[in-house]
Amino acid sequence: MTRTSMLATTNGATARRAHPQDSQYLTFLLRNEMFAIGILNVKEILEYGMLTSVPMMPEFIRGVINLRGSVVPVVDLGARFGGKPCDIGKRTCIVIMEVSSDDGQQDIGVVVDSVSAVLDIPASDVEPAPAFGARIRADFIDAMGKIDGKFVIILNVGKVLSVDELAMLGQVSETAQAG
Amino acid sequence: MNLDSALHTYIAESRELLEEMEHKLLHLEHEQDKQEHLNAIFRAAHTIKGSAGLFGLDDIVHFTHGVESLLDTLRNGSMEMNAQLTQLLLACRDHIGDLVEHMAQGNTSASDDHRVCGADLTRQLQQYGVGAHADDNNGLLPAARADASQPVIERLEAGCVENDNWHISLRFGPDLLRNGMDPMSFLRYLGSIGNIVSITTLDDAIPPADAMDPESCYLGFEISFSSDANKQTIQDAFEFVREDSHVRILPPRSRIADYIDLIQALPEEDMRLGDILVRCGSLTGTELNEALRIQESLRALEMNRPLGNIVVEGGMTSQPVLDAAIEKQSRVRENKTRENHSVRVDADKLDHLINLIGELVISSAGSAMRARTSGDAALIESFSTLTRLVEEVRDSTLCLRMVQIGSTFNRFQRVVRDISAELGKEIELVITGAETELDKTVVEKISDPLMHLVRNSIDHGIEPMDVRRAAGKPAAGILRLNAYHDSGSIVIEVSDDGAGLDRIRILQKAIERGLVSADQSLSDQEICNLIFEPGFSTAETVTNLSGRGVGMDVVRRNITALRGTVELDTKPGQGTTFRVRMPLTLAIIDGFQVGVEKSSYVVPLDMVLECVELNEADSGNAAERDYINLRGEVLPFIRMRDLFAVRGQPPRRENVVVVQYGGNKAGLVVDQLLGEFQTVIKPLGKIFSHVRGISGSTILGNGEVALIIDVPDLVQHVSTLEYQAARARA
Repeated sequence: MTRTSMLATTNGATARRAHPQDSQYLTFLLRNEMFAIGILNVKEILEYGMLTSVPMMPEFIRGVINLRGSVVPVVDLGARFGGKPCDIGKRTCIVIMEVSSDDGQQDIGVVVDSVSAVLDIPASDVEPAPAFGARIRADFIDAMGKIDGKFVIILNVGKVLSVDELAMLGQVSETAQAG
Repeated sequence: MNLDSALHTYIAESRELLEEMEHKLLHLEHEQDKQEHLNAIFRAAHTIKGSAGLFGLDDIVHFTHGVESLLDTLRNGSMEMNAQLTQLLLACRDHIGDLVEHMAQGNTSASDDHRVCGADLTRQLQQYGVGAHADDNNGLLPAARADASQPVIERLEAGCVENDNWHISLRFGPDLLRNGMDPMSFLRYLGSIGNIVSITTLDDAIPPADAMDPESCYLGFEISFSSDANKQTIQDAFEFVREDSHVRILPPRSRIADYIDLIQALPEEDMRLGDILVRCGSLTGTELNEALRIQESLRALEMNRPLGNIVVEGGMTSQPVLDAAIEKQSRVRENKTRENHSVRVDADKLDHLINLIGELVISSAGSAMRARTSGDAALIESFSTLTRLVEEVRDSTLCLRMVQIGSTFNRFQRVVRDISAELGKEIELVITGAETELDKTVVEKISDPLMHLVRNSIDHGIEPMDVRRAAGKPAAGILRLNAYHDSGSIVIEVSDDGAGLDRIRILQKAIERGLVSADQSLSDQEICNLIFEPGFSTAETVTNLSGRGVGMDVVRRNITALRGTVELDTKPGQGTTFRVRMPLTLAIIDGFQVGVEKSSYVVPLDMVLECVELNEADSGNAAERDYINLRGEVLPFIRMRDLFAVRGQPPRRENVVVVQYGGNKAGLVVDQLLGEFQTVIKPLGKIFSHVRGISGSTILGNGEVALIIDVPDLVQHVSTLEYQAARARA
């Protein structure tokens, strides 16, 4: 309890992570680095394909796919973290996640290099996020999980896939292109 | 007892009745046949009151009663309709509306505010000599007063029972409880319009306990009822259950023959019924015996003849009376069939159906494509039949959502009346094209922007009366609302005969607000369009209605969001016309599919004029200049590859899709033409809300997503880009 409140003070963005029982995580690889996301956010995992790119959008928005009749945007995490977009390989996957926004729940797909496993990380192995040093934006990190003695970044899905921010960045790139 | 579903019906019905009431009130002044309209208004008020009584909504009953009394006086011709009365009745209508909405929010009694407002209006009503006899326990209804003499005429000298009470036989249908009705509420309501002298409950229909369904109603009542109300009023109490229950009402001093009829018609055994009737006090023992005797003799006389004949031959009633009765019956029946022509459907159910049809269209397109690639002639044939059927299903489903724009237009009658009164202007609203149909979702979304435009025209468009007279125009201004279909879209016009837009003032204001620079040269049309810019308002004083400078840009934004456009025409001194162009439906469009590299795009088919090949001479010429010679016409074009930054080599042959929008033409250079196809529009979501030139997406037969091109936006985007590039070079 004290730890949770401390987390909340050190990093306001972690307020979402107030349920310690949320200890199952999906781990995946991105440029050989392992990341984890809370399993409750994950809806399904698809093979990469049938993607339609949307022109005039920033690089990290790869396009849209047809998910059983509804059109779902797909975000490239590599590009979102400021690097190069993912190369498409045999094990490339799209992880469909549920993100809450002002207009209710929205599905967003994420391109990852490969999906590893669903792991239990006990609350005692979850550490607060470092203020810097992870080389991705601090507010993207929910916490650090320890797996086999190694640290894995647990992503804050609400921040990484913030619909408002993605829309705003889309607009910025739009004006940059126009100017 | 759960009355919820019935209450919802009541609220929906009341809303409709109130709308009708308003409409009729507004037209009353100009109408030839005032009586007909007054009757309709009275009926509306009466139904609202009657049904409210069923639900024990006493506040509505009390208040509406006063209104009804005034209406009745008007209906009798003892008072003339005038503008003040109309105003008062409109205010009363609004108050009833408020009460109904208040109930709709789940409150059972009115708030104090409502009471104060209601009391105030009731006082005003009383000034016209009609009181709201709200606390009058006799519940003497105006209708009853008007018709009080009727039963006297109906009475016959001989063969009448010695009884001044009504007799009501009730047999509720088994579904009564399931339909959310409570038998008690009917009795309670009867109690409010008269006095129940005696009541006998019939439980004969209740089956043995193990066969009984606790959700079914097996009850019946025989009621002796004393009231001054007329038959219609009593019948109205059972309005909601008329369909599946048996309700028979015998007026006081009815002929014994009527009782015989009643006894015959009811399912219970004759003798037992007779006993009940005696017990109710409706019949005396002697009368019963006589009735049964007559019945016996009639039966002996002839079984097969229709009852009507027997009655006539028995000298009980004369042929003309019977004819009149039969005619009346058939008229009632006709009315009923007309009512049944429309079915109230939950809008959500309809939306769900349309979504499903959308999926059906997509998957049938996919299957048809598979069939074509298979080359099996029989399969292709059967799929083409299927596709045609699906198209028909789609069209008729979409028709379900089509509503006439008239009701939206009519709502403005009141707006125009109120606002013009407030501003001291006299304005007549002329509506044309009210029968033009469009999608319900479009109607819902268009009414706010339309409201803005109408208010704007009243406030800024039409001049004050003295100015109009000085300009040699009639003092009363005319505001026109018009609607018509035009090539796959609906056009709605709001026009006034006011002063027109003052271009010089608009330009000054725009320069003042920094919207344009003073040295910019603008065409007249461009100046006029400045009023759609954010933060622009020319009204010198901020009025209650408009002039906060949020109006017109919001109007344009809302309309653009619906894939519509708004433009204006103005003639100095003669008036201004706003023309709103909207797609007929927001759900499905006919599209033309084109390919660029590997992606597919869809252009709305109603914008596509023709397709031509981009020949190499043109292409070579056009390396620097983006236009071609289309039969002597200059056609500017957009290279989709360049615009969308598609990598890779263009194919040897490129095609130009010639599109037209709002009077302009342009070409889109694409790799392949893939043909026509119907598409269900899927919104792209918030992330893509800023993408220019793309209005949505759709799913192709093969499951891939294709983007729908928003041609006007795309062209505008390209011209902005070009303008900026040119300025950067300069």
